[in-house]
Amino acid sequence: MAKVAIDINGRLFQEEVPERMLLVDFIRERAHLTGTHIGCTYEGVCGACTVHLDGEAVKSCMLLAAQADEHKITTVEGLAPDGELTPLQEAFKSEHGLQCGFCTAGILMNMTDFLKRYPNPSEQEIREGLIGNLCRCTGYVHIINAVRKVVQENQSRKT
Amino acid sequence: MSQRKNDDWMGTPLPRKEDRRLLTGKGKYVSDIVIPGALHAVFVRSEYAHAKILSIDTSEAEELAGIERIYTGDQIKHLIKSMPQPIVQPALPAHYPTFWPLAVDKVTFHGEPVALVVARDKYVAEDAAELVFVDYEELKPVLDPEEALKPESAIIHEKDGTNEIFSMTFTGGDTEASQAENAAEVEKIFQNAPIVVKDRFKTHRTGVTPMEPRAILCDWDDSDGLLAYITTQRPHIDRLALSDILDISAEKVQVIAPRDQGGGFGVKAPFYRENIIIAHAARDLKQPVRWVESRYESLMNVGQERDQINDMEIAADLEGNMLALRNFGLADNGVGTTGVYWGFVMPFLGAIELPNGYKWPKADIRLKVATTNKACLTPSRAFGHFPTRFAIERCIDMVAHKIGMEPSTFRRKNLVADLPYTSITNEYFDSGDFLKVWDTLMEKANLPDFRVQQKNALSEKKYIGIGFGCGVELSGVASELFVPMENQPGYGAATVRLDPRGKVQVFGGDAPGGQGHETTTAQVVASEFGISPEDVIITTGNTGSTPFGSGSVGARMGSYFISAVAEACRELKTKIAKFLAHDLQLEASVEHFEFKNGEVVYLGDDSQRSSFMSIVERIIMFPINMPEGETGGLDATTFFEAAKPMICFNADCCVVEVSLETGDFKILKWITAEDVGNVINPLIVNGQMHGAIVQGISNTVFEEFVYDEQGQQLTADFEHYKMANAADVPNIDLNYATTPCPHTPLGTRGIGEGRPSSVPGALTNAVCDALKPFGIEITTLPLRPDAIWQKIQDATQ
Amino acid sequence: MYPAPIEQYSRPSTLEELYSLLDSNEEDILVLAGGQSAMQAVKSRMLRPAHIIDLQALSELKFVTSEKDLLTVGAMTRYADIVSSDSIPLELMALKDAASRVGDRQVRNRGTIGGSLCWNYSAACTPATVLALDGAMNLISPDGSTRQVAADDFFLGPLETARNEFEILLSVDFKLRGSKSGSAYKKWGLVTDALPVIGIAACLHFDNADCCDYARITLTGLSGAQRCLEAEASLLSTSANAEEIAEAMMIVCSKVSTYTDSMATADYRYQLIKTIGLEVIEIAKKRAFSLG
Repeated sequence: MAKVAIDINGRLFQEEVPERMLLVDFIRERAHLTGTHIGCTYEGVCGACTVHLDGEAVKSCMLLAAQADEHKITTVEGLAPDGELTPLQEAFKSEHGLQCGFCTAGILMNMTDFLKRYPNPSEQEIREGLIGNLCRCTGYVHIINAVRKVVQENQSRKT
Repeated sequence: MSQRKNDDWMGTPLPRKEDRRLLTGKGKYVSDIVIPGALHAVFVRSEYAHAKILSIDTSEAEELAGIERIYTGDQIKHLIKSMPQPIVQPALPAHYPTFWPLAVDKVTFHGEPVALVVARDKYVAEDAAELVFVDYEELKPVLDPEEALKPESAIIHEKDGTNEIFSMTFTGGDTEASQAENAAEVEKIFQNAPIVVKDRFKTHRTGVTPMEPRAILCDWDDSDGLLAYITTQRPHIDRLALSDILDISAEKVQVIAPRDQGGGFGVKAPFYRENIIIAHAARDLKQPVRWVESRYESLMNVGQERDQINDMEIAADLEGNMLALRNFGLADNGVGTTGVYWGFVMPFLGAIELPNGYKWPKADIRLKVATTNKACLTPSRAFGHFPTRFAIERCIDMVAHKIGMEPSTFRRKNLVADLPYTSITNEYFDSGDFLKVWDTLMEKANLPDFRVQQKNALSEKKYIGIGFGCGVELSGVASELFVPMENQPGYGAATVRLDPRGKVQVFGGDAPGGQGHETTTAQVVASEFGISPEDVIITTGNTGSTPFGSGSVGARMGSYFISAVAEACRELKTKIAKFLAHDLQLEASVEHFEFKNGEVVYLGDDSQRSSFMSIVERIIMFPINMPEGETGGLDATTFFEAAKPMICFNADCCVVEVSLETGDFKILKWITAEDVGNVINPLIVNGQMHGAIVQGISNTVFEEFVYDEQGQQLTADFEHYKMANAADVPNIDLNYATTPCPHTPLGTRGIGEGRPSSVPGALTNAVCDALKPFGIEITTLPLRPDAIWQKIQDATQ
Repeated sequence: MYPAPIEQYSRPSTLEELYSLLDSNEEDILVLAGGQSAMQAVKSRMLRPAHIIDLQALSELKFVTSEKDLLTVGAMTRYADIVSSDSIPLELMALKDAASRVGDRQVRNRGTIGGSLCWNYSAACTPATVLALDGAMNLISPDGSTRQVAADDFFLGPLETARNEFEILLSVDFKLRGSKSGSAYKKWGLVTDALPVIGIAACLHFDNADCCDYARITLTGLSGAQRCLEAEASLLSTSANAEEIAEAMMIVCSKVSTYTDSMATADYRYQLIKTIGLEVIEIAKKRAFSLG
């Protein structure tokens, strides 16, 4: 067993875990935060499990919980800690950027990180930024509209 | 949220009620539900496509700490009834295979469940599954549907003596003699027709993989019985099936499809064998048992559809009139061991829908379905008719080329202009205006302009092309078709219950998977009662509280379910009006009252009114001094069914540029026209269309389930089963040309299920149009760059 | 699928700690860098390590430095770091081409150049790119002895490298050839940014007369990173115009054997070699000339 101390959304989880436990299982089963989903077996392609590790989007199914020891994790539950949705979450709502919602947490986490690094992306850049997140319901159209909406709001605030 | 005029929420792009919880990680999918002490189940699955099971050794696996039980087929075959059972068997004559949840005696496809490990820890369960040793004797796999039907083929389900699970002739009446006569008449037309095109159209094995794989969590109590949380589109059917097969009295089975499900698209509509054994394990061990399907299992077992060969012929005259259609379909059913659909129900419906929205004076349409050692076909959005629509839309272009006519002109000339109409396969088109839809598309497509651009591009050695396609989509499935097809009713059922605070609870037995039922239902209820959608909540998928429903399948929401909701509301409004008239001492009934802005107002004198809440509270809480013959309470359950089936119609146009160098193509434009009937929420309708079209594109180009010569499935992960990502697909220009449906109370149509079906034809037509200088006609999917490049090579060398 | 039991997880924070861990001569050690490929193997139980040694804390292996005619990239430098690095000169742009198209953003936020080179997957982007750029691997053994292995000698075949079991890749050196050199990498997969069905990297240098006097062309997707020696030779003393490049790519096609699978036919793979090769070499040439 490995002892880990993982900060998830500002709460510290100190647990003993089997060395082989995946981070996504730690998040779901030890921290009981089930907003992070699992959509692959071993391949790590679908992106539904995307979380932030020290502020950067990573796939939590491709990491051991032990690898996240002494790191800060943010999950979808940590995006709006005081209950007020972030502009990206609001945009997903107003633009209908989600249907079944299973892939949504991963997309929000990836795009939150993406917009921090690329505040004014083109549509093509947004599409390429989303490659690590598969969605079956939306055809991606409304997801891209939602991200663009946040970009436009940010740009108009600047000017 | 702004208050609408007259509280008419119909047609409002209301952000969804579902979204907040889903955006904050508070959704509860089956795998998120916790029952303390739940055990974890892992399947041991067949490594072979076709093999005898000689022995199964579980002893080493059982020695691992924390293993509760390991089940094999031999152990359970005396404890559990075999399939098929009537509740999940269509009324169609077919060779239904006999099977148990775990393979007995032999395995029939790569990935078939052979044993089940139940353990306290899911990691350990997998350790144990690795230690279950199965001794197989390989049998020759049957992998090609044409070979499967030859007399010398090995037989997969021996009791039947054949691999032909199903066959049918869809034209020429019900007797062999009348069908033969029809066939002869059709043959005569072909012999005399000036234009005949005949080709073989092949669609590959692909389908719609939901992002949430299957899952089930069962709990057992000796007095209460079975409680099962299942990822399912059909909780009520699952309940009856589990009751019948496991011999648990029906009142002791409750199935809950959680309101949050990660997509269904048909994949969660069958009754699956895995659910039987998990429920059995919970009963046997008297403990909760959970199974969460891995993506690997999912891609090995479900979501595989489309796999058909259609030998199609079209006869036409030189003026562009369609004269006759002949199609001999052959579908690769896979193994056929899946309840409700058995694989062949999809090609069956695909053949019915094959003629599409065209007037065919004569047709000869037949289908054979062959069992093979592959996963059983499972429904996937555009149920059965993705392949037949590809064939017909492609073949129509080929005919138009031969006549020398614009394919779009040829289509318009032959579209059904006057509805209602009964198709050559007896499909009833209730209403709509196909020509209006088509003309809307053509106006947006601006074909004359495009032809000029195309010519100019060609002079610069750029190959751009335009393609068209259209589709009649079932707007829900009426009992008339549903009862024989699936042995289930087609009606929509809803309970609407008012509470004393003027709030509304709606109960529906269908189980959505992300289509926004909570929001659209709330909009309809709010419009009916003149209240806010925030005052309405909906419970779906719980067999303990909802009226019987056949499930969220076949676009039933916008047609059947929502109509039942509206009618239940109207029943309650009649009662409310009766009470209010009584209390206000008016000679009036419901048509004399308006429900708006949270009030019920007498139209004859608007000072005569009541707040919605007070009159509702009065009827529920103060049932004294009532109108004669009335009782208190406000709760109504209605069952809606139109007299005849209903449809909707849509059309696609796409523009592509093809590289001669690589055969790669880029979709430059995707334009549509849709008749979706009256719209409840345009955001949701747009989302359905986007999703369906992109699924169609992804299925056409990227996704393919591949088996090797031994029947090994090679595409059981997302590295090999390629779904389109955001950078692979275009934006979509949606256009609406709606006609209200006259047969639903709100004029709505059910939409979205069949929507991908016109995509493969339109897209392939566009690529062929771009390559018209080389006379290239593509008749096989997937539409891959390597295949296109090869066609270019063959044409230019 | 879940990993098979793992007995020990270690995260050394200095090279000394790492060496002492490696010195134990344990079997079934997996040295984990970013883990974006290795974890696939661990989860599918293709690899069953008893001991995982995680290099994430070795910040000393995370750097991009350029000194005169040498660029050195630390083994734990992530793809995302390479993409955003200002230190990578135009002539090594193939590195950025490859790093910016590996997997997806999430993978690039975690995956490292060193991990990819040591894993040497048959359809990886990085090994072929480093081979084209004539990278040199700086390896160290637990006893502190170091050696440098040229890319030509490092990649032995899919999932095989010249690295000994207990050696650690510290960094990769790239020699800069100065003006008139350029490089590029491009791939084709069925979906955008997928593992390459065919990927090609090229690095060229031109002399004062604008003749090509140095060429390295590499291929990935078929059976790991491989040089195209005859094609390289054919470009020497040419101006690398379109016909000459096409001729070179014909030579490549005559020397490699392709295969058909669910992504593409064997013939199509040859066609991809020709079209991507032409494109990549033309980009490399363009870059060479915009430098000087």
